[in-house]
Amino acid sequence: MQNAKDTFYTMLQGRLAMLNPSRTIVVRGVARPGTLVEENELPTASVPVDTFRLQWTKLQVNSVSPLPQVAMECSIQYATDGTSGQGSMDRGRLLAAMDAELASALAAEPRSEQKMNYSGASVGVAPAAMGTNVFWSDPVFGAAAVLDERLERTATVQVYSHQEAGEL
Amino acid sequence: MSHQPNATGAAARAADTLLRSVGGRRVLLRMPSPAAASDVTEQLGIATPEFQDIPLDPVVFRKARAVVTGSRPAKWELLVSATAVKRIVGSLAYASASVLFENASGVLAGDELFEILSATEEQVFDQPYVYRLVLYAPLAQTT
Repeated sequence: MQNAKDTFYTMLQGRLAMLNPSRTIVVRGVARPGTLVEENELPTASVPVDTFRLQWTKLQVNSVSPLPQVAMECSIQYATDGTSGQGSMDRGRLLAAMDAELASALAAEPRSEQKMNYSGASVGVAPAAMGTNVFWSDPVFGAAAVLDERLERTATVQVYSHQEAGEL
Repeated sequence: MSHQPNATGAAARAADTLLRSVGGRRVLLRMPSPAAASDVTEQLGIATPEFQDIPLDPVVFRKARAVVTGSRPAKWELLVSATAVKRIVGSLAYASASVLFENASGVLAGDELFEILSATEEQVFDQPYVYRLVLYAPLAQTT
């Protein structure tokens, strides 16, 4: 399951960075594409804006077939305060841009990705390719929430994979 | 002739004296090492950063939420000497105190690692003389 989560995240981060290379976030002094998995970062009470934050929520395992099918729900949260130079009056447009980027990244072909095992990867060492694919549903966009000048939305995606023999 | 530098220095020294006189103590500011730019394993939670504990004193603790209900963690306030913060910001080459606290992974006091919820500053002539951190005690408190 962890391999499917890692594969989906790297796929989504790469596609979103291709669509909008200027959407970046600075994490511990280093700029990187503006997508992160919350459970993989240091705990913090602050919410980074203009960034896609992934959370893994529901999990379902269907063990009927020889390769159990795993369905995981990925909750993707994003928020924007608008830009101060525009008096935050562009926050609706910025949220719409993030909606479009996410929808476009998830709808792009192919709608699957070869599952990769990152446990042995490091700088200069590529992850190991596995035998099955990770695939996903269309996103379901929740209602936009208003918190003072902040607009935020949560989209959910079902991510499917097969649990290979010996895989954790 | 401006008296502002003397005034801000006096305010910071007075704040330091007050913090010490009301039981000022030392805590450690836990800073993670910079991220590795090309290492995806850090983003996947496989590799973890190194941490550096930097002494911060004088500081004063104050419990901001006395009653802990349900799963809500205890909330604390930490008053921190601006002199100490200025020294750390300079030595670690951070752009400002707010960037320093934003990057910190917490405050270590005794055996407990507190999460920083917010950091504000008290100023005189646009210069801080004391910082106020709001901290959460995590559910797993033992480091």
